[in-house]
Amino acid sequence: MKNTVLIWLAIGLAGFAFLPWHMTDDGLFDPVWINDGNASTGLFSALSGQWWLAPAGLAPLMAIAVQLFVQAPVRRARITLAIAIAGLFLIALQGMIIVRAGPRILEWLFTGEAALAGQPGMGAGAGLCALALLFVATVSISQSGKGQGDAFVVSTIGLIVALVGIFVFFPVMHILVRAFEVDGGYSLTEFFPRFFSADIWGLGCLFGPRSCGVAINSLFLGVMTGAGTTLLGLSFALIFTRTDFRAKKLLRVLTVLPIITPPFVIGLALILLFGRAGTVTEFVADLFGWEKTRWVYGFWGVYFAQLLSFTPIAFLVLIGVVQGVSPSMEEASQTLDADRWQTFRYVSLPLMRPGLANAFLLGFIESLADFGNPLVLGSGYSVLSTEIFFSIVGAVADPAKAAILAIALLTLTLSAFMAQRIWLGKKSYATITGKADSGQNASLNPALRTLCYATALPWAALTLVVYSMIIFGSFVKLWGYDHSFTLAHFIRAFGFDLSSGRLTGVAWDSYFTTLTIASIAAPLTALVGLSTAYLLVRQKFIGKDAFEFSTMLSFAIPGTVIGVSYIMAFNFPPIELTGTSIILIIVFVFRNMPVGVRGGIAAMSQLDKSLDEASITLGANSFATVRRVILPLMGPAILAALTYSFVRAITSVSAVIFLVSAKHNMATSFIVGRVENGEFGLAIAYSAVLIVTMLAAILLLQLMVGTRRLRRADRVQQTA
Amino acid sequence: MKRLGMISVATLALSASGVLADELSVVCSAEQDWCDLMVSAFEAEHPDTDVLMVRKSTGETLAQVRAEAGNPKIDVWWGGTGDPHLIAAEEGLTQASGVDTSELLGWAQNMADISNGKAIGIYAGALGIAYNADILSEKSIEPPQCWADLEDPRFEGEIQVANPNSSGTAYTELATFVQLFGEDEAMVKLAAVGKNVNSYTKSGSAPSKAAARGETGVSIGFMHDMVKLAAQGFPLKIVAPCEGTGYEVGAVSVIEGARNPEAAKAWVAFALRADVQSRAPEVGSFQVPSNSNAKVAPESPDLASIKLIDYDFATYGSSDTRGRLLARWDAEVGDPNPQK
Amino acid sequence: MTQVATGSVRFDGVVKKYGDVTALKKLDLDIEPGKLVTLLGPSGCGKTTTLRLIAGLEMATAGQIHIGGEDVTHLTATYRKVSMVFQSYALFPHMTVQENVAYGLTVKSTPKAEAADKANEGLELVGLAGYGDRLPSELSGGQQQRVAVARAIVLEPEVLLLDEPLSNLDAKLRRHVREEIRQIQQRLGLTAVYVTHDQEEAMAVSDDIIVMNNAEIAQKGTPADLYEAPSSAFIADFIGDANLADCDVKSVSDGMAMVAMNGQTYSVPTRNSLSGAAQLVLRPHSLGLAPPDTPGVKGTVSYAAYLGKEMQYTVDTEIGPLFVISPVQAKPFRQGDAVCVKIDPTQARLVAS
Repeated sequence: MKNTVLIWLAIGLAGFAFLPWHMTDDGLFDPVWINDGNASTGLFSALSGQWWLAPAGLAPLMAIAVQLFVQAPVRRARITLAIAIAGLFLIALQGMIIVRAGPRILEWLFTGEAALAGQPGMGAGAGLCALALLFVATVSISQSGKGQGDAFVVSTIGLIVALVGIFVFFPVMHILVRAFEVDGGYSLTEFFPRFFSADIWGLGCLFGPRSCGVAINSLFLGVMTGAGTTLLGLSFALIFTRTDFRAKKLLRVLTVLPIITPPFVIGLALILLFGRAGTVTEFVADLFGWEKTRWVYGFWGVYFAQLLSFTPIAFLVLIGVVQGVSPSMEEASQTLDADRWQTFRYVSLPLMRPGLANAFLLGFIESLADFGNPLVLGSGYSVLSTEIFFSIVGAVADPAKAAILAIALLTLTLSAFMAQRIWLGKKSYATITGKADSGQNASLNPALRTLCYATALPWAALTLVVYSMIIFGSFVKLWGYDHSFTLAHFIRAFGFDLSSGRLTGVAWDSYFTTLTIASIAAPLTALVGLSTAYLLVRQKFIGKDAFEFSTMLSFAIPGTVIGVSYIMAFNFPPIELTGTSIILIIVFVFRNMPVGVRGGIAAMSQLDKSLDEASITLGANSFATVRRVILPLMGPAILAALTYSFVRAITSVSAVIFLVSAKHNMATSFIVGRVENGEFGLAIAYSAVLIVTMLAAILLLQLMVGTRRLRRADRVQQTA
Repeated sequence: MKRLGMISVATLALSASGVLADELSVVCSAEQDWCDLMVSAFEAEHPDTDVLMVRKSTGETLAQVRAEAGNPKIDVWWGGTGDPHLIAAEEGLTQASGVDTSELLGWAQNMADISNGKAIGIYAGALGIAYNADILSEKSIEPPQCWADLEDPRFEGEIQVANPNSSGTAYTELATFVQLFGEDEAMVKLAAVGKNVNSYTKSGSAPSKAAARGETGVSIGFMHDMVKLAAQGFPLKIVAPCEGTGYEVGAVSVIEGARNPEAAKAWVAFALRADVQSRAPEVGSFQVPSNSNAKVAPESPDLASIKLIDYDFATYGSSDTRGRLLARWDAEVGDPNPQK
Repeated sequence: MTQVATGSVRFDGVVKKYGDVTALKKLDLDIEPGKLVTLLGPSGCGKTTTLRLIAGLEMATAGQIHIGGEDVTHLTATYRKVSMVFQSYALFPHMTVQENVAYGLTVKSTPKAEAADKANEGLELVGLAGYGDRLPSELSGGQQQRVAVARAIVLEPEVLLLDEPLSNLDAKLRRHVREEIRQIQQRLGLTAVYVTHDQEEAMAVSDDIIVMNNAEIAQKGTPADLYEAPSSAFIADFIGDANLADCDVKSVSDGMAMVAMNGQTYSVPTRNSLSGAAQLVLRPHSLGLAPPDTPGVKGTVSYAAYLGKEMQYTVDTEIGPLFVISPVQAKPFRQGDAVCVKIDPTQARLVAS
């Protein structure tokens, strides 16, 4: 253990002495920085005037001395911990004080040319040095405490807390502070009247001709969407598990498609079908002689689009739950003379309660954060997500209003979390007992089956129609007007010149950037998400609840807010990331992490804890246990986390719009630009290619992770 | 733990790659195709400069330029309606490029004068009315000729226009009404038109697109957008209102603190050249070019035949006027959260 | 494999709390090297907590834990020389039997060949030589159990912990496997701590039994000690079946107590000096049934069961229901028969009430 500390101290010292401390304009592997005054190492900078960098080198040196000369292990660990924390604190402090333009405060302390010249953001040297000190601190904690901590566990906690702190709290604080901003300062008293204004919470639509506030609109839409998707998802799940419906495979595909569809596409297809000039509208109007209306613009259109988009999520949550209801409980109910309806009503349905609550919560939050559908279809029905966006980019840019609306949105999502916790209470819903169940799930009674078919099948049919339209739209000249066949959209987007081997299509750049970034972000997301899940399920530590909550936070904040807050936070020293691909990767990792966490928690809860304990009592440390026992058994969860984060990185829009740069443009941002420009054909052709790409990637992932999983699942089953 | 370390090192290695000296970072707020054309044309003339271009709307760009103030990652902002360019100039977010503007038309020079040379006009587009010929003939509605026609009940539920709170296009319309009719009268007229409006959209170009597809009968917006839609084959007819109309001036600005100011200035000079501006119609952009020697596409709205008002960019671009007019619009014309 | 370092286990005032819940009151414990000691008690008594504290899977709230004379109070499980056999076996389903057994050696970076050799040795020891390449799922329950034992002992632990290792096996197999475990433990001279709630199992395998109740030790001793001299009604009831009857201690002298019960006086052997109200422990085997006119406690048979080797009766008597086991007679009593229960006072034991 002493060695671990020494190794990390050496790494930290190396980072200080041999790597450029600050961000460089050249690559890390370009040796120019050795001679370049601006990008010199921490050691060199500290000696040539930037004395405030010295603690970064002194801290490891002092800690090394402590390792060598202090014998008592606990005492040694405590002193080392203090030194490491002090070092980290001083590094952070100097970074916050001295920015590009020189010192922000304490000018009397930081005098001289070097200080006034300022410094760019931290680079490789600073990063490595800080990371090393962090690990030195965590390893020391594990040695100085009551033996609670295994170094690996404490280090993982430390790393995740640091990452969440830097990449979730730090930027979010930047924007939330704006809510209290008034001309020339900050005010708490101004905040409350603005927050509780009728524009946000007004109930005018209930009592008169005026409309309701945006938060009320969002709330209403969210509740409706949550309820609707849960109902539809349940119908699908029941059809899958409790009926002998024939086209289950086709249904399965239909339930995956909306997840991998880039935003806007569903909204556009709905307009072309149900808009005033839409195909269906024309047909119905001709048939019945009805007036063609614009009903699809506004609440109903958005609601419709959200049902199409988010039902699959509810389905994925509920299918596991519906399958998980132990057949023996249903059989028990039936032997007690309950009929199939009573069994469903009084046994199965209540047992599905956690699943229903989860599905509703996800639908609700997705609806609140949804940006694409309200933008295309919302018309006069304002919701928080679009309103926040236009408060930032609209003709009257008002970041304070955006921040206030963001707080309103956070209030809604957090209340939903609370409500769910309260509703579920402390009842036990465990239905998987570990004993092999050989019974069969009760099939549905005819009335219920009909009801399920009646709700789910029209949805499926509509999805099918929407996707046929999308494929159709990418192959016709002018969707809606000129339906002659053409490949022009594909050629324009993805054309290439065979003779010269050059890619001439306009979409190639963003396509490759998107794939690269998604491919880097997905494994990182899975790693961070599953490590967090491991800590939450398997480890006990102080502040675990707060830790869990903070990891869920980024999921509840709308993408637009995250996007803008990232620019505000990471455009300046100490951490300068704007314009790089890193910022895109990071935003995806921390936005999608909660899903990895949830999936990991679910999967890990199914692994008997005695497996870890066996490994540990056999002398393996936590790291070896995770690597050799837990990871190999978590195939499905890893697959899910990888797939989800990959798909999300490709399809998310709102967070990305602000973060894309000339060098790193993303597919969705490109598509949005085309949609704004009215080039639906190109946008849809691009979307179709993305959908195919994602399907291929999912299949590939399943081949890589999935086949191993199957073999293992068989073994696991027989073990029991 | 070693593994975690490796990943972090890899991450840092990635982060260390930055911007090369001969790279020019351009944000383009015009149509994507025009942006692409400009980049390839510029790179052809300046083979040593690698142009990195991203398309963002003016609102997004202004938000980003503000957020990045002091340490910008953008060198040049090209295209997009002039107001945000003027705001950026007023807030000191852009710098004068010192490029020669003598060949430019009056309105373009005017913009440079207002902004002390920080924003220079590159194209103009007049505000107009578009209608879907199919819809109006089907419903036997007489097409509009003037702004005043839009107040007529025959257009009930047929007009679509953007919300000036979110759209620069709609703000131009609001300011045009004020300059045509006076502030009080303008609000009365806008409210009267508002009775026929089916939706105040967020985006300024959305109403014309909706009119093109037949989702609404009549739209208010910039004529060059309408021309483009009509050229694509939509049954869209364009009207220059009889009372006269306002216009926007698209601009180009160099960002204050640009990392590559030399290339940025070269870009501005390039963008103002007659031969470069003449190429816009190749990609279906029908704005009127600012260089007096540039060729105007036959499809472009002929500014000479349109009765243009003497749009006062200095007054109506200022934050004070803007705030006052929008507050009045909210109170007297539009429900801040309309729901119909 | 033949020489195993064995260690003692000592608890000094160990307390374990989960928040406000006390799982273990101040516990002192001393387990000698080479002994197999069973922790026995009803569920929730703290026996598993004690085992996990020895393993290092839980950390003591207060007190010290020594293993092999070394203070391990603050060491986590990874660093204690202790192995554990789990109730569920916890065999890694994705590894072969040999990989499972070699796991502990592998994570300590033992050379591969050496680890494999030792694993095979371990498998041989539990009679599973040649099963190394199979997956756990391809073994029977008893075999899996033995793999778990092999996996634990190849690490040559100072202490071997077994957490209800037999509870997933059927009754016949259970007896067989527990004999094997006892043999291996004795052959290797291992210190072993064994947790069970089955008193018969505990009596069959243990050198010593520690009976726990309500988060503390109720009594510690050899199986015979506990059966012969229970210190409380709880122990008497838990170790072997017992009928408990209220009685009154008149006097104690020379290890014999004069006890009055139901109007009669008995002379009962005792090791402790009680007086006044107490309880008499009457083992079912020590009671006999006789026709109603003989001396003894009168009652009526309320339940009679024929088990082949013996008869089991429940008799409603003046001192409450008594459970009686007697050899099969030519003419067994039947339900409803009036009987007299004969008490052999030398077989009876006295405990505090």
